[in-house]
Amino acid sequence: MSERLSEMVKLMAYTSRGDLASFERLYSVTSPRLYGLCLRMLGNRDEAQDVLQEIYIKVWHHAGEYHPERGSPVTWMISIGRYACLDVLRQRRGHQDVDDLKEWLRSDGVEPQQAALASADKESLDRCLRELSDPHRASIQMAYFHGLTHGQMARTLGKPLGTVKSWVRRGLDFLRRCLER
Amino acid sequence: MKPDHYERNHALAAEYVLGTLSGGARRRFETWMLESPRVRRQVWYWERRFQPLNGAIAERRPPPVVWRRIHARVRRPGAAASARWWPIGSVLAASLLVALVMLWPSPPVSQQFVGVVQNSQAEPLWVLRTLTDDGRRRLSLQGVNVEAVDGKDFELWLLPRSGAAISVGLLPAGGGQRTASLSERQLEVLRRSRALAVSLEPAGGSPTGQPTGPVLYQVRMVTL
Repeated sequence: MSERLSEMVKLMAYTSRGDLASFERLYSVTSPRLYGLCLRMLGNRDEAQDVLQEIYIKVWHHAGEYHPERGSPVTWMISIGRYACLDVLRQRRGHQDVDDLKEWLRSDGVEPQQAALASADKESLDRCLRELSDPHRASIQMAYFHGLTHGQMARTLGKPLGTVKSWVRRGLDFLRRCLER
Repeated sequence: MKPDHYERNHALAAEYVLGTLSGGARRRFETWMLESPRVRRQVWYWERRFQPLNGAIAERRPPPVVWRRIHARVRRPGAAASARWWPIGSVLAASLLVALVMLWPSPPVSQQFVGVVQNSQAEPLWVLRTLTDDGRRRLSLQGVNVEAVDGKDFELWLLPRSGAAISVGLLPAGGGQRTASLSERQLEVLRRSRALAVSLEPAGGSPTGQPTGPVLYQVRMVTL
């Protein structure tokens, strides 16, 4: 276990026992990632801050439920964050502003890659994403990074709903087979 | 559609994590997650698989006011204690099991509670969830696959942090569903302790208003 991961697991353990100092440290280390995630998915500073607050309240109350099958503590927290953002997006009932996305699609539809140490997991996912056809990859990335529904993607891309649903389904099916190779 | 269809669930789990599973299908899937450890693992599989994508998220430091608000909320008396398991006392005679409960993100506004009573093989027996859709205080008691015991009933109890257990009512056997009304006080106890227990009682429920039979299971509700 890397030193950083081991520190995070320790912070989670102490947080689960109600240690406020560890919780504050956990917040300080992880909140820039989580806030970046919320800003990106919600595109609105006030909502992003509200959701960020709710995420950490959940972490405080549920830190004891974290376990390694959920991935690293950060992966676990990002999952909580993504679902919370998805809930907010779904409550907007289709009022998603797609202008940014059109811009993103024009740029080349590829997400910037962080200059991080390449892990085996990252290499496999990168390789499998590269092997996907462009529409399959774009639909998965649009859903993951921007929380778009099938319908919103269909409208944004000007394609029939059934086509977009099939891109996502087949794309995910390919990813699973590819990642298990 | 059966919740134990492995391949189908893998596809649904992927779309759940991606976020493209929505509306009623998403809610149904969330119920299956609560009921099935295998479905939860399929979800965790996809959460881990997509993890490398998170490296592409630009970091942004939130303004200090966010931490101040969080800090104010967790410092409230009892805020930390409510996250702890209800202490399992010697009063609980039979084998106890704390339910494995799925953390289930939700809209930040309304507070709902959910819990799964499980047996020692981690099989779900009842799914409990508060219903707040129409402003009334109710608790949905959904049996999953509970074997009835001849001449006996399962009774659900709220466990306050201190003081005597409070009966919520009888639990349905088999795959039955019933809804119990909660008083303001019961809801307050639930909010504070989040702990419930199931005892085996004579048919019709405890004659004394307190558990008389063995306490079989304990469950802690989590915020939904």
